[in-house]
Parts: sequence; C-alpha cells; structure tokens
Amino acid sequence: MTTWWQIILLSALAFWMIIDQLTVCWISNPLCIGMISGLIMGNLQTGLIVGAALQLMVLGVSTYGGASMPNFLTGAIIGTVYAIGANKGTQFAIGLAVPAGLLMVQLDVLARFTNTIFQKRIDRFITQNKPQATGRNAYLGLFTWGISRSLPVFVLLIVVNRIIKNVLATVPTWLTNGLKVSGGILPVVGIAILLRYLPTKKYFSYLLIGFIAAAYLKLPMLGVALLGLALALLNYQRKQAQSQTSNSHNTEYENEAGEYEN
Amino acid sequence: MKTNENTPLTKHDLFRANWRWLWTSQLSWNYEKMMAPGYFYTVLPFLRRFYPQDDELVEMMQMHNQFFNTNAFTGPFIIGMDLAIENRKGYAAKDTVAGIKTGLMGPLASVGDTIFGVIIPTIFGSIGAYMGLKGSPIGAILWLMVNLIIFVLRFAILPLGFYQGQKLLESAEGKLNLVTDSAILLGLTVVGALIPTVITAHVPFVFQAGKVTLHLQTVLNQIMPSLVPALLVALVYWLLGKKHVTATKVILFVLVLGIVLSYCHILG
Repeated sequence: MTTWWQIILLSALAFWMIIDQLTVCWISNPLCIGMISGLIMGNLQTGLIVGAALQLMVLGVSTYGGASMPNFLTGAIIGTVYAIGANKGTQFAIGLAVPAGLLMVQLDVLARFTNTIFQKRIDRFITQNKPQATGRNAYLGLFTWGISRSLPVFVLLIVVNRIIKNVLATVPTWLTNGLKVSGGILPVVGIAILLRYLPTKKYFSYLLIGFIAAAYLKLPMLGVALLGLALALLNYQRKQAQSQTSNSHNTEYENEAGEYEN
Repeated sequence: MKTNENTPLTKHDLFRANWRWLWTSQLSWNYEKMMAPGYFYTVLPFLRRFYPQDDELVEMMQMHNQFFNTNAFTGPFIIGMDLAIENRKGYAAKDTVAGIKTGLMGPLASVGDTIFGVIIPTIFGSIGAYMGLKGSPIGAILWLMVNLIIFVLRFAILPLGFYQGQKLLESAEGKLNLVTDSAILLGLTVVGALIPTVITAHVPFVFQAGKVTLHLQTVLNQIMPSLVPALLVALVYWLLGKKHVTATKVILFVLVLGIVLSYCHILG
C-alpha cells in the first residue's frame, strides 16, 4: 500500500495546497489536487476521477469574508488514497472523502482562531514601535495554516495503512452500495449552491439552453462552453449598444449605472 | 513649513508591494482583523520611508493595522491608490487613506469574488471535472495554465490603482458590470450542461404485472432525459433557500439520501 515516501509527499502537498490557496492560487482546487495525488500514488486516472467528483461539489462554494468551506482539498488526497488502496471503486471513495472533508472544516476554524495570537502580538509591537518584530508576525501564520492541513493528512494516511483492510471488511454491503449512489448524486449540491449564488432567476433561459444542449443534443462540454461564449458575446454587444443609445439621449451617469444592476 | 513630498515611488517599489501582498495577504488571516496583518506587512517598508518621525510612524502603523478584508486578487488596487496618496500627502492623508481602505474593500471584494471566486472556477472547473470524470487530465491542465496566466495578470492591478486611482474605478464600473454579467451568463449555460452529464442517478426499479415488465428508467427517459438529476438539483436548490440550511447540512442530507434511496432500490 502507501509507502513512507508517498505519505511524506502527500503531507507536503497538503501543506502547500492551503498556502497555495491563500497566496498564488495555482493548484488549489480539488481537481488538481486529486490529479497530483493520483500521480504520487501512481494512478493518475483514479486521482482525476476522485478530484473531478469533489470539484463538482465545491463549484459554488467559495470562502467569502472568512467563512470556512468543506475542505475537499484534503478530501481529494484522502479519497484518492482510499480509492486506490481499498479497490472498491471511485464512487465509494468519494462517499468516504466527503465526510472527511466536512470534519476538516473544524481545523480550518482552529487555524483562523490561532492566528489571532499573531494579531495580538502585532498590536502590541506597534505600540512599542518595533516594525521588524511586527512584520514577522504577519507571516508566521504560514505554520498554523500549513500544519492544519498536513498533520491530519499524515495521521489519516498512517491510520489508513494500518487499519483500512480490517475496517473495510466489516462495512456492510448496503452501506458500500449506498455510498456509491451518494457519490453519484453529490455533485447536485455544488451545482445547486452555485445556482443560489448566481442570478439564476434572471438568466434561467441560459441554464435551460445548456441543459438542452447536453441532455438532448449530447453536445460535449467544450461545445457547450463555446455556445455559452457566443451567447455572452451577443449579450455584451447588445447591452453595450443599448447603453450607447441611451447615453446619446441622456448624458447622465445614473442611467448607465442603473442599467447593469443585478 | 516642511513639505511632505517624498521621492517618487519606482516601478520596482510597486512590484515589491505586490510581492509582499501576494505572499502575506492571508497568511496571518484571523477572526479579529482578518487581512489586517497582510495589509500592514505590505505597506510597512513604505511607512518606514515616508514617516521618519517615530510618533507619526506609530500612528500610521496603527491605522494600517485596522480591520481589513477584501478579495486577494483585486485588493492591490487599494494598495496602489494608498501608496500614491501617502507618497504625495504623507501624514496629512491619514484620514483619507483610512476612508479609501474601508470604502473600497467592499466593492472590490464583490467584483473579485464573483470573477475569481465563482465565474472562473465554474467555467474551468466544469470543463476540467467533465474531462476528469472520463479520466482525461487535459481539462485540469488547461485550468492550471489559466491560473498561471491570471497569476501574471494580477501584478497589473496594483500599478493600475497607483496611476489611475479613483477616477478609473468610477468610469470602469459600468463596463466591469457588463463583463461580469456576460460571464455569469456563460457560467450558467455551462452549469445547465453539467446537470445531465455529471450527476449519475440510475433508477433500477422494475414494475412487474403478469407478463408486462416496465423499466421505470425507460419511462422516465421518455418524459425527459436526465429527469432525476434535474429534479434533485431543483430539490437541493429549494432546500438551500430555507433558513438555517447550510452547505454542510445539505451535503450530509444528500449523502444520507443516497444511502436511503439505494437501500430502498429506488436509485442504484
């Protein structure tokens, strides 16, 4: 099963992924993390499938104003390792990755809370006029964040190695089948949250166009995206022409501002 | 009276501010003042240059250590404006800068969160996940490339704030809304296509009356292809509109729903 260097690499990936998410934003999405975990485990396909399924669940979930979201980046690592190690199919692994991701939210809260210590120190050092010491506390959060992700992954992978076979032997069939079904329908959540966030009622017809293109016309996803791009360009040109004509009638600013309010 | 004119900031200075913000904007993010440590760290070397007098320095450090929260991508616009103003006006601009920071962090957060937090992940996440489910890494790599391009473009936002300032934000608002609006429309079209392609919900139920067997799935398909996924999305969408319903609760609900429906042989 998982070798020691795989565990180290996956823990390092867990450390980097949260730092990535907070800074450069290169790979911090479940899809990429799943893919990289798959590469480390020597099974790219399984990693991609697990990552893709989790990606669909977080489509509409994003961290705004400091709200914690289900940690499906950790879920992608754990799910990929489960899927490859347990050999019970990817949907089953996704069913396990989801509760793991939900539990990890608590550690996100803990990291954000622990960082308050650095804030207190910054407050104190400023009044003492020690700029150097204050600056340092602005990046010490690196460790609280990183450890909040890498430690649980490290522990879970060691535990997985030890007990996964015994545990899996005792899971009843109705539960494994059930988790498979859940894994299949869970993308519903991501899609619905996204629809709640976007002005769906205003643009419902476009949702319908996309659905028809895929369900009836069997258009592949890139084709649908191009169709959407064409519709978006048409919308842009039409609205821009509208705003120009309305501007020539009335040179007031308010007109334009009012026009594009959501 | 002594003027507060400082030596003008160079491109290298702006890049340095950008670099510091990139790495620290959220590293010491905390529940009390959120992004305040990151903002403080970004402007710190400039504060030390602008305010050689200790009492002024401490006061300005305190001002930049107040609550601050915006989108990490669009936030540098504020830093750019701030640096332009403080460089010219110095300590006299303390209240102006504090006002600009609190006034702009909200609008810039909403633009940044919509474009970088929702629209781009929706479009590229959908395409990537669709390909990923079929075992192809092309979508994931495409998204990675897009992220790298965005990463480079991010560095243009701070100078934009520095050189253009307030004027630009006002004139660009109408156009920016139009672009956001069109991007949302594209996003929704893609999401519409996701519903039938990525949700797997097969109904194995079979009616048997004498010699007649009826597969429920075939009947459902005749009504509408992907009827069950569409209904499930509608159900969860409706649930999310209820009070006290969070994403986590809904995920747990769907997890249990799947197990129950599978146990009753309705889905499989």
